[in-house]
Amino acid sequence: MMLEMTQKEEKFIIPIGPQHPALKEPGHFEFAVDGELVTDATVRLGYVHRGIEKGAEARNWNQNLYLVERICGICSHIHAFTYARGVERLAEVEVPPRAQAIRVLVAELERIHSHMLWFGVAAHEAGFDTLFMFSWRDRETIMDILEGLTGNRVNYSANVLGGVKFDVTDEHRKTILEAVDFMEKRTKHYLNVVTTDAMFLQRTRGIGVANLQQAHRLGILGPTARASGVKRDVRVDAPYSAYKQFPIKMVVETAGDLEARFVVRLKELFESYRLIREILNNMPEGDLQVKRFPRRIKPGEVISRVEAPRGEVFYYIRSNGGEMPERLKVRTPTMMNMASVLAMAVGHQLADMPMLLVGIDPCFSCNDRGVAICNSKGDHDQWTWERLRQHGIDFYAEKV
Amino acid sequence: MKIATMFSDVVGSFWKKPATVQYPFERVEAPTRLRGKLEWDPEKCTGCSLCSKDCPADAIEIITIDKKAKRFVMQYHMDRCTYCAQCIESCRFSCIEMSDEQWELAATSKVPFEVSYGREEDLAEALAKFALADTVETE
Amino acid sequence: MEAIGNIVSLLFFPGGLFVIFAGLMYEWLDHKIIARSQNRIGPRWFQPIADAIKLLTKEEIVPDGVNPVLFAILPLIALAGALTAALYVPMAGLKPAYSFAGDLIVTVYMLSLLTLSIGLAGANAKERFSLVGSTRALTQLFAYEAPFLLALLGPAIAAGSWQISEIVAYTETHTWMMILQPIGFVVALIGLMGKLELPPFDSPEAETEIVAGALTEYSGRGLAIFHLGKGAELIIGLTLITAFYMGGVSNPVWFLVKTVGLLAVLAALQSLMTRLRIDQTVGMWWRYGALLVLLQWLIIVVVQLV
Ligand code: SF4
Ligand code: SF4
Repeated sequence: MMLEMTQKEEKFIIPIGPQHPALKEPGHFEFAVDGELVTDATVRLGYVHRGIEKGAEARNWNQNLYLVERICGICSHIHAFTYARGVERLAEVEVPPRAQAIRVLVAELERIHSHMLWFGVAAHEAGFDTLFMFSWRDRETIMDILEGLTGNRVNYSANVLGGVKFDVTDEHRKTILEAVDFMEKRTKHYLNVVTTDAMFLQRTRGIGVANLQQAHRLGILGPTARASGVKRDVRVDAPYSAYKQFPIKMVVETAGDLEARFVVRLKELFESYRLIREILNNMPEGDLQVKRFPRRIKPGEVISRVEAPRGEVFYYIRSNGGEMPERLKVRTPTMMNMASVLAMAVGHQLADMPMLLVGIDPCFSCNDRGVAICNSKGDHDQWTWERLRQHGIDFYAEKV
Repeated sequence: MKIATMFSDVVGSFWKKPATVQYPFERVEAPTRLRGKLEWDPEKCTGCSLCSKDCPADAIEIITIDKKAKRFVMQYHMDRCTYCAQCIESCRFSCIEMSDEQWELAATSKVPFEVSYGREEDLAEALAKFALADTVETE
Repeated sequence: MEAIGNIVSLLFFPGGLFVIFAGLMYEWLDHKIIARSQNRIGPRWFQPIADAIKLLTKEEIVPDGVNPVLFAILPLIALAGALTAALYVPMAGLKPAYSFAGDLIVTVYMLSLLTLSIGLAGANAKERFSLVGSTRALTQLFAYEAPFLLALLGPAIAAGSWQISEIVAYTETHTWMMILQPIGFVVALIGLMGKLELPPFDSPEAETEIVAGALTEYSGRGLAIFHLGKGAELIIGLTLITAFYMGGVSNPVWFLVKTVGLLAVLAALQSLMTRLRIDQTVGMWWRYGALLVLLQWLIIVVVQLV
């Protein structure tokens, strides 16, 4: 059936998703292929739209901290961090320096586990399962650290408005330093693997090149952009929180291919290790939280930007003086990077598609925050809740 | 350009213990900070309900029996709880704690997820008054 | 008496049940060794058997738009091919059940039936992953087949016969062929990996691109039979290479030791390599595989002339 239809259009389309082994989250890609060569690519997102922005308008400032944490499972801390920073600026509250240092510490630990996770997934997409298994085994040390430090492995809930929940004890300091030493050794090894293994390089070197102009034109963010030579990192461009005292060096590569994306992410880890050591050795003294954080926040609006493992996370928060935000707008890096996959896909082999897709470290559920309904003619219109409900009832009535 | 760069890992692992943890048979001890099931101390509670107001998951109900005598009952909906520990932060009287031992909380029915905390007599009264869920766990 | 012997060799040993069961065990060993090399525990010994039983008892869904006869018969042809091949190889270190001049060629082509059936099964389904998978499987077949066959013919030429039992008799009494013909050995080993679609030659069933390749539409019995066929092919391939290149398989103990050793090498190779794209696979086979094996032939011929 499908075959006949696609043949009529003289295009052989390979669908990837919404359910596909290469995708750990639902997204839908259609690659038109000529033999093994990809000639066209389209994407459809929005399968995991969860209405979080709207939901935030019905919860108070404290509750939202945990709602935004669930935007992304991998960078949960970053979202809470960005949100808390925005709200604190809005409330004109200064967070104690020790709390800021702990926030950055957790953010960097999270970056390590996120990059290692990506590294494993990318290796798996390339069909190198040994690398996948080993990198995830090593990532487990960081997960254990985060669990011991914060009390949970995924949604750490490290933040409260006006500070953090826990302190870093000497014991934690010791285990973290040990783990970081171990990880540094392993990361060196992995960097060696991705830059010298001939078999692996066949799948990464010169594949999916996005040069500087393309990167600028497509507005790519994060490590993907830095692999194309774009000097863009919020931690450096507009240092926030403890990054002011503990500056970080930007890692930039210029090749713009998949190999460069591996190298940038792995080299960033060394910076994270260095920063973690520095923070632990020069931990500022002081409180963990402000004494009292207002329940109502005076009217105003604020923009908060933070560098997540995947790129810049952008929050816009507006308050009307109540207990709840009037508007919360989130933009995650995957949204910006998605277009680059489509641009890079054309002219590559079908076998490269999963690698290209994973190269931007996509996170579908964090970028699905809006839906547009298209009818078959392709024009958009807005449906009311009643109409949507009626449509559902009619649809199933017809089916039965 | 080299081949087989993972050689040392691959050969080395034959002599190493596998990293796999065979979970139900083999346990790694949970860290002390692990956020497990809530525990509530009725003696300190003032009934301010801040915990239930700030709970993002609507998992806590504070039922007032007698406000003057400081008699309250906490109805804890464990199935809704996200283990975020905001209630601990919100409570100014440190009535709430989280267990680092009780974290294997999966169950095949909803019943064990309805937990009521409070003094025994308060629970009995609350039960009579508000018809709490039948399975009351006294603490 | 002969009829009974025939039936036994067809149904139980060395064809039939024995090969199927041994194939499953070798598959488990392969998984286990890979798991250990990745610092994991790996499956328990009955995992492949349990999988096979589970699949055999499950409902088989025949998708729309396929030819149902072909759909049902292709797995059987694949398995039958592999089991027939088992009759001509010195399984478990014993003498082959049947033997005639030139049976080496027949055996190798019986083994190819599996890949051919998989390719046809994929082309039979009107599903895009299957189609891409079957194209890849057949493309790969044309890439490794010739070098693999040529590599197996190396010892045959040295022995001066194309009959498996005679070649084995020759290799048993001479130095290990893997020392005399190292290039041929390497090509044969890697050819076996290509034949079995093991990493890095698993692009015909690369799960991250085309789900399960040609077999995407198969479920239940058909899938189970294809798996059994693969297992049988694994053990036959191992037997052939040990018999030809590793000093023959004179008794069951040696057979076990040598084939398991060879399997460990295969497993280690699998865990060390990244999947090749289909164009890279083909390029590699024709650019290096074929040339290398021709070089080996040249050496053999020159040595024999001198
Ligand atoms: S831990 Fe979080 S979700 Fe659970 S009861 Fe406390 S505030 Fe609610
Ligand atoms: S916040 Fe503390 S004192 Fe207030 S109702 Fe909750 S448990 Fe009681």
